[in-house]
Amino acid sequence: MEEGIVISVIGRDRPGIVANVSRVLYLNNCNIGELTQTAIKGQFAMILIATPLQKEMISGLKEDLQNLAADLDLNINLRVVRKTELTPFASAETEPFVLTVRGEDKPGLVYGITEVLAEHGINITNLDAQTAQIGEKVEYIQFYEVDIPQNLDYRMIQEKLRRRGEEMGVIVDLQHKNIFQAINRV
Amino acid sequence: MFSSEEIIRTLEMLKNENLDVRTVTLGISLRDCVSANADDLCQKIRKKIKCYAQELVPTCEQIAKKYGIPIVNKRLAVTPIAAVAESLSEREYIEVAQTLDRVAGEVGVNFIGGYSALVQKGFTKGDRFLINTIPEVLASTERVCASVNVASTRAGINMDAVLLMGQAIKETSRRTADRDGFGCAKLVVFANMPEDNPFMAGAYLGYGEPEGVINVGVSGPGVVKKELERALQSPKKLTLGDLSEIIKKTSFRVTRVGELIAREVAQALKVEFGIVDLSLAPSPTVGDSVGEILQCLGLTSIGVPGSTAALALLNDAVKKGGAFASSSVGGLSGAFIPVSEDLNLSQAVKQGYLSLEKLEALTAVCSVGLDMIAIPGKVDAETIAAILADEMAIGVINHKTTAVRVIPVPGKDVGDKAIFGGLFGEAYIVNVPHANCSSPFVRFGGRIPAPITSIKN
Repeated sequence: MEEGIVISVIGRDRPGIVANVSRVLYLNNCNIGELTQTAIKGQFAMILIATPLQKEMISGLKEDLQNLAADLDLNINLRVVRKTELTPFASAETEPFVLTVRGEDKPGLVYGITEVLAEHGINITNLDAQTAQIGEKVEYIQFYEVDIPQNLDYRMIQEKLRRRGEEMGVIVDLQHKNIFQAINRV
Repeated sequence: MFSSEEIIRTLEMLKNENLDVRTVTLGISLRDCVSANADDLCQKIRKKIKCYAQELVPTCEQIAKKYGIPIVNKRLAVTPIAAVAESLSEREYIEVAQTLDRVAGEVGVNFIGGYSALVQKGFTKGDRFLINTIPEVLASTERVCASVNVASTRAGINMDAVLLMGQAIKETSRRTADRDGFGCAKLVVFANMPEDNPFMAGAYLGYGEPEGVINVGVSGPGVVKKELERALQSPKKLTLGDLSEIIKKTSFRVTRVGELIAREVAQALKVEFGIVDLSLAPSPTVGDSVGEILQCLGLTSIGVPGSTAALALLNDAVKKGGAFASSSVGGLSGAFIPVSEDLNLSQAVKQGYLSLEKLEALTAVCSVGLDMIAIPGKVDAETIAAILADEMAIGVINHKTTAVRVIPVPGKDVGDKAIFGGLFGEAYIVNVPHANCSSPFVRFGGRIPAPITSIKN
């Protein structure tokens, strides 16, 4: 069966992390397919999917990555997956929505919201939380991109999230993604 | 992923700035309903409208719910009845109008446009029947809207039609005297009437339009005003060029929303998507007024010197933003100044800032014309016809659409207030100076020839 590898890298952000990781993959005959990288408050995180051109190279690759992790003080994790696992999560037909949570930062905000989503089988495709200047105030804001199954009543979900937000003292909005696309993208 | 600024701006527009879709208008061709038998024609019309429009209101409601954006009005526009009912007798035109009224009610729309005729160059038998029956139709139906195109840049102004329409307005007012002449609010006289206008009372489905089509009118002046207010609160010194840029960007956004909704409705109803009309259509609520936008731009009231320039700036910026947002722009596309439907304009009349003459000047740079203006009930048909002729001339010479929707209010005069209710609002009566001075001119009849600028080929 055809296999792919998923590698995650976490550590203190600095120049050269991507170069070092990709060099190891190149030397072990692996082709990088998809990759995403971000850094929050000086902490680097990367996830990538690669295809080994020769299957027997995987054990050597593991060893090289472990050495690199020790040298650069990084957490590197490698997971071998079947090609069939490399497809997005698919429930029934869904509609894309943007969920926004605004207010004062406090413990349990992410859990409070995601609990509601999980209960209804709503998958998160993108999540970003940050502080932002809104007028004169600094607010804690979470943006979720979520896929809501078409058989769910959006209004009901909207109402449940709004009530959960009220309990936690934050403002929750749920709007169809197409509106953001239409208004903001040329 | 969208930036936090993009997401927050979008939410603000949806939650606090009354972003909505003003109207989704389904155009339905009635050309295949033509019959020489009135019963047969009415039956065919009923069947056709039911077939196309049955799902319009529930579909709009479902899509409005999905996006959390209200669709304020759901309406129908049909092929001009003068053409569809051409073979009938004059009395039978009334039956056709009543059929339209009933079926519009059955499918749940608030108005149906298309009790119309195009007579810029001359009349057919059916055109005359239609015009003759307008007063009775508007008095005896609830949802039917009438419109007559009496002039075009290519044809000139049909002054016989202008006089007939002056008389029709007067008679419609008389027949609906108990409602302050409200029938006239459902009647528009046009020059260069657009075939795809989604707004009432002038909506109809033109001869070049498809079998079924969705045309949409975007959100109103409230959104533009809020954006201007926000920009003006910032410490940065802004010029009129900067303010025009803000209006342009806002227009882009509201047009995008309008088109998104229109395309989705059209797809659900399996008809074509036609156009987005970029008109800023006010409503009689505070904060949703073209007059208030002009106040944001530093004028004490609409009507004071500078108003025409400010309205020109507004209208142009709205068009530029909208034209960039959608390649299917049509209809009237510009700022509306319907006096009774815009609370601020109605106040401007009361306070003496806004006169009929200034309104006429404003129509040279805005999209429509003398709209929803209550005038004294005593003004005679010839004077009304002369007002129509003036407004038609502005449209014909400037290659633009102009229209007149005036309401002579029986028994009321300057200082009184006419109350139409709902979206039609209420208005103080506007003075018509120098009435009874134009009769010989309008009674000449014939046609004011097309201007030299019409010869373009």
